[in-house]
Amino acid sequence: MKILLALFALLMPAAVQAAGSVSLVSEVFVERTETSADGRSVTTRAEPDMVVPGDSLVFVLSYRNDGAEPATDLVLTNPVPDSVSFSGTDDASAAVSVDGGKSWGALGSLTVAGVDGASRPAEAADVTHIRWSLSQPVPQGGAGQLSFRGLVK
Amino acid sequence: MNASMRMLASVSVLAVAASVASPALAAGTASGTSITNTVTIDFRVGGNVQNPVSASDTFTVDRKINLTVAEVGSTTTSVSPGQSAAVTAFTVTNVSNAPLDLALAAAQLVGGTSAHGGTDNFDVSGLGVFVDTNTNGAYDAGTDLAVTYLDQVAADASRTVFVVANVPLGRATNDVAGVRLTATAREATTVGTLGAAITETTGANTAGIDTVFADTNAGGNTARDGIHFAVDDFTVLAANLSATKTSRIISDPFNNTTNPKMIPGAVVEYCVAVTNAAGSATATNVAISDSLPLSTTFEPSFGILVNGTVTSGTCNADGTTGGSHASGVVSGTLSDITAGVTRTVVFRVTVN
Repeated sequence: MKILLALFALLMPAAVQAAGSVSLVSEVFVERTETSADGRSVTTRAEPDMVVPGDSLVFVLSYRNDGAEPATDLVLTNPVPDSVSFSGTDDASAAVSVDGGKSWGALGSLTVAGVDGASRPAEAADVTHIRWSLSQPVPQGGAGQLSFRGLVK
Repeated sequence: MNASMRMLASVSVLAVAASVASPALAAGTASGTSITNTVTIDFRVGGNVQNPVSASDTFTVDRKINLTVAEVGSTTTSVSPGQSAAVTAFTVTNVSNAPLDLALAAAQLVGGTSAHGGTDNFDVSGLGVFVDTNTNGAYDAGTDLAVTYLDQVAADASRTVFVVANVPLGRATNDVAGVRLTATAREATTVGTLGAAITETTGANTAGIDTVFADTNAGGNTARDGIHFAVDDFTVLAANLSATKTSRIISDPFNNTTNPKMIPGAVVEYCVAVTNAAGSATATNVAISDSLPLSTTFEPSFGILVNGTVTSGTCNADGTTGGSHASGVVSGTLSDITAGVTRTVVFRVTVN
């Protein structure tokens, strides 16, 4: 009976939508590193009012469980925007895709076809999607942030 | 979830990723492009799949003004004294993310160290700026047009620009004339007209398209002024000829060839030796003209030998028959004389 219910849920997700609610916010910041007068390197984050090619971007994804029950099996999927070259993530557990979201894995395990047709190890700039699968449930009112970085092409 | 712990633990991961992903960004994403990031979250509640939730944010790419001027190749342009239309080439590139007009100006260095280590010590004349109209990479007089600006240079596009000048006579090998080509970014408003000066967006950033100067201070430039220049130079490679004339008595009517004396009827051999110093340019069309001494008569039976050699300062009196004699003047044209080579003209006279 349990199995049947789960199957039902898979087939008819809209029917159970009212049971929970997770809110999500995507923000982007420009990160600039400047050397201060005393020689120290200072990194600042700013709103993306002034963005030119080559700038470093930090995409910050904030989620929160606004529902009445714990949320489980959270999967955040973020296609890397056009005109942005993926350059890394703060979370080594994130999976990436270099083929438009068909296959996933750690960057080091993926390959892409080079210009000569031969396959080569994928580089950060090849990443098309990034995905986080949270192993822990998010309790009611629980929240978290994930982020990744890119360069404006 | 402990966000700060996660950040700390992943710093090294990030650093590696960032150093790998530093693509050579040239012009890049066009000014005014909107970039939207969309993230989607799938989740379950009570074991049930919920509707996915999405969020997105958008920002606009501003206008980055950057340009470079670079000499083509990395060597000086070797020129001859008196050369007209000596050419040195530059590549002017719009590295902005928007089209530009690029105003051009050529100027001469005034002393100081030039582009390739030499010291600027003379000026060329008739300095002109030409664009490679037929884009063949070489200056074609009459085809490549004189310009004061490059019109409508697209983002990431580059043009070859020639600085053409005349070299004065009288300059010596390793004299250097430095020239500087300066390009200034201008608005690309109207085709066929040099656009207005570009100003950086001052004050607070705006949500619209701002303008940022991003040119570098490479090669003595001023960073972030929308102006970039490069220096190249002309270095003189001249021929450095010296001539010596030697003579010896071949015979007299009484001693014949044994210890001949300089008496009337004696035969004297003259050798004119022309040397081009080591490290010089090849001398071409070297013409020798030598008037016979008074009271001597050209010896037609010996004739004239040209392109002979000298060994250890001694004329070998060899060579091939050539040259001419008329009215007491011996003339001969030598083959090309490369650096460090000596060629001779040899003839004989009889003392009257």
